[in-house]
Amino acid sequence: MIPWDKLHGAMTHFPIALLLFSTACDFVSVAFKKLTFARGLRLVSFYGLAFAALASLGAVVSGIALTKGDMWGRGDFGWHHRFVWPAFGLLVALAVWRLVVRDAMSRTGLCLYLVMMLLASGFVAAAGYFGGELLLSGGSVP
Amino acid sequence: MTPLEIKGAVAGVTTSVFILVATFTAGGIYRNSIERGTEPGNKPLDAATLAAKGRTFFFQSCAHCHGRDADGGEDGPSLLKLQISGAHMALVIQSGIKDEMPSFAKKYNEQDTATIVAYLKTLH
Repeated sequence: MIPWDKLHGAMTHFPIALLLFSTACDFVSVAFKKLTFARGLRLVSFYGLAFAALASLGAVVSGIALTKGDMWGRGDFGWHHRFVWPAFGLLVALAVWRLVVRDAMSRTGLCLYLVMMLLASGFVAAAGYFGGELLLSGGSVP
Repeated sequence: MTPLEIKGAVAGVTTSVFILVATFTAGGIYRNSIERGTEPGNKPLDAATLAAKGRTFFFQSCAHCHGRDADGGEDGPSLLKLQISGAHMALVIQSGIKDEMPSFAKKYNEQDTATIVAYLKTLH
């Protein structure tokens, strides 16, 4: 029997950490765009985002196996899913967008991209919080 | 926004929608197959048989904390009228609750856990 609870717990940390780190790198590279390491940071954020999107597939598959296909639910379980699905969708969309555009971003494009990265990071952080609540407290009943 | 950015946005949204639809479809199919007990090698059991088996497990492992009537004991809360999904119940039984409830993953496999969940659902 595959221990999906442990596997899901292990796999979710990759997209969470990579997305948050990628967002941080993007903001630092914008804040210090005149410095030489800014270009390197943009490259790091690109690969961080790409790997976060790939890792999120594993996290989602293990999560579906763990919940036996229950994609919504109630209480903390429901809140976990309310944040997970927008985060997953946004993460994939941002990774594909970045893959197409690379560094050829206009000022408007960059601003929109940063706002969306912040939004995705918020969703991922909230999903992680409620996932942790499920693990540590069994989840609240509405 | 430049044409390239718009092209990227279209590609991103299309891919995202496609993956989300595929994920929800696959999840729904998986859930239906589990609820019907049609996984390969499994004979479907009726709800009464499942609950009866789960009741036995409940008295073996749960009743001493949650009470024989499942209405709460000295150490465990009432399990009557739980408003969480079966998958959530199974998750708690398998994983436990830190510092409050032990994990029963080693004692009960997924099918055994499903019988306990079936019994708990009869207590609504």
